[in-house]
Amino acid sequence: MNSKVLRVARNEYLNTVRTKAFIISVIVMPLFMGGSVVVQAFLHDRKDLTDRRVAVVDRTGRLFERLATAADGRNDKAIWSEEGAVREQTDARWLLESASDDEAALSDRVRADELFAYVIIPPNVIEAPGKAAVAYHTNTPTYEGLPRWLGNLLNEEIRRERFAAANLDQDTVERLVLRVPLRKFGLVEMTAEGVVKEAEEVNEIANFAVPLGAMMLLFLLVMMAGPMLLNNVLEEKMQRISEVLISSVSPFELFLGKLVGTVFVSWTLAVLYLGGVAFLAHRFEFAHLIPGSLYLWFAFFHLAALFIFGSIFSGLGAACSELRDAQAMMMPAMVIVMIPMFTWVAVIQAPDSTFSTALSLFPPATPFIMLVRLAVPPGPAAWEIIAAVVLTIAFSVACVWAASRIFRVGVLSQGQAPSFRKLFGWIFAD
Amino acid sequence: MTAVRLEGITKSFGSHRAVDALSLRVAKGSIYGFIGPNGSGKTTTLRMILNIIRPDSGSVEVLGETRSRAANDRVGYLPEERGLYRKMTVRRVASYYAGLKGMPRREARAETDVWLKRLELADWADRKVETLSKGMQQKLQFISTVLSGPELVILDEPFSGLDPVNLEVLRDAILDLRSRGTTIIFSTHDMAKAEEMCDALCMIFRGRKVLDGTLAEIHAREGTDVIRVETAGGVAALQAIPGVSDVRDLGRAQELRYATDPQELLRALVDRGEVRRFEIARPSLHDIFLRIAGPEASEGAA
Repeated sequence: MNSKVLRVARNEYLNTVRTKAFIISVIVMPLFMGGSVVVQAFLHDRKDLTDRRVAVVDRTGRLFERLATAADGRNDKAIWSEEGAVREQTDARWLLESASDDEAALSDRVRADELFAYVIIPPNVIEAPGKAAVAYHTNTPTYEGLPRWLGNLLNEEIRRERFAAANLDQDTVERLVLRVPLRKFGLVEMTAEGVVKEAEEVNEIANFAVPLGAMMLLFLLVMMAGPMLLNNVLEEKMQRISEVLISSVSPFELFLGKLVGTVFVSWTLAVLYLGGVAFLAHRFEFAHLIPGSLYLWFAFFHLAALFIFGSIFSGLGAACSELRDAQAMMMPAMVIVMIPMFTWVAVIQAPDSTFSTALSLFPPATPFIMLVRLAVPPGPAAWEIIAAVVLTIAFSVACVWAASRIFRVGVLSQGQAPSFRKLFGWIFAD
Repeated sequence: MTAVRLEGITKSFGSHRAVDALSLRVAKGSIYGFIGPNGSGKTTTLRMILNIIRPDSGSVEVLGETRSRAANDRVGYLPEERGLYRKMTVRRVASYYAGLKGMPRREARAETDVWLKRLELADWADRKVETLSKGMQQKLQFISTVLSGPELVILDEPFSGLDPVNLEVLRDAILDLRSRGTTIIFSTHDMAKAEEMCDALCMIFRGRKVLDGTLAEIHAREGTDVIRVETAGGVAALQAIPGVSDVRDLGRAQELRYATDPQELLRALVDRGEVRRFEIARPSLHDIFLRIAGPEASEGAA
């Protein structure tokens, strides 16, 4: 490559990776992602241990004692981390009391914080299946644990009553109605020696998390690189640095140098993040869920996406003279970048559908969507992969060419931002 | 020997003709001035010499090269508005710009230190550009322009925004470059500065060349019809004297043109009161410019 292009690229790279913003983005993003896990774990151990008192209006007259006994059992054992003197409370106590049937008074007690909730068990709840519901009244409907526990417990006790009334053995019935699990597998394969290789069980998490994670990382890297390049080009133009540079290098060399510099910046981030992913995959033994070829496809589509969107953003930055204009012109480009965000659910659920296939061969979306399809086994057909590669390369070259033409005119223009029509005119101008 | 040759170059932006059929020759090793008011087409012409923009018609030859950008590595350019990376250190900016001219990195670093020392910026070498004063930034921009040892240096308004001390430092550096054989083209609207430094110059007004040649040639052509006087009566003493025109009040003194014998004017002034000074002078570039361009040009020409 031309030495001037490399000099511009080197300068672009060093100017970016030495900024505080870059260093912060490198450190903060993993911290942000890892930190949320740590915070969740921390908060999990920091539950509110305030007693919750619940009044139960048992109109059946048969259930309260059993509920109270179960609650006492829970308060004595289930909410403590360990037995003995060093035991530590990990959850709130739920205290049940039998109450008279005065809903207005009970509501007032809830409002006065004497009660956390009250429950009305209708009289026919045992004898009339499907016709009666237990009512749980509270001022704090987002507190999920207590009503869930209460609901499960009530159903268990009511079922017990119903089985006894029908004179059936509950254990036998429950064993008979036990669900048969359905497990998902891939296809069996025949080895070269004619041995049938058993099909592997589908890992739901891997099939969802790996393609989504790969696409999100690619999206994130492109979103960091594109607008950054636009800002750099615009800043150099506004500060008249471009004019000095253009006296030494051709506009194309400048454009390409900045693009290549940005590619290296983005690669640096990718290596750091993918390296982190590979390390964690190895450390926590899920490396087998990420095929090695996916790293290579990621590298290819990452490069292609940078050339496509880097060119577009760079051209737009050169065409504008003010940040406000650049932000306005950036919007259509952002919509294109966002296509995968709007469609990834449909693509992961049906990677071989006509919609997914067509979208993965629409060049601006190809790097993201084809990466998703490649990450979901068994992957797209060979002709689709070849078509995607050819189309992506051709579109990248076209973007670089068109953007460099816009850059050539735009970088020295001043004043109002051009219309899109004028931009197209610049592409084909002499 | 010609460093730059322009033949009938024309450049329009939309309906505005910025440069109109301009031809000129810049001799090697000379200081050549581009003078004219703001917006007269100076910067556009310089950009065409640098091949940053192409003329609509006409030809440009720079250091013997007619191919686009072929000579650019041998040409240094200081633009009118400073173009420096604010977040980079002084040393890195200078080395980077020299590197873009093809100068090896190690050589660029060594030469940077020499120039920083010479223009009294050595103490700021590792500071960020944004910490420099305007004058210092201007000196850094100049260093970045000449660091790679170009044969031709193009300076667009190099003295704007400089205090008198830095102005002298820069002027000496330019004169030193010339003494080492470098061709220098600089544009300015400060005609006094052009008159002081240039071997030859070209005056542009509304995109057209209105004056071209060495200073001696220009003065020979324009004659010596300017008279500077200092009288007790001031401007009032000059009124109603036949043959007096173009009176410029300089404060205590006045400058004017006189159509016939200056001795007659002297006698007329003595008749009107005390004459403290009477000097027959050559017209300044400013005067010549005003004569050529007319009064409508006076606003732009400082």
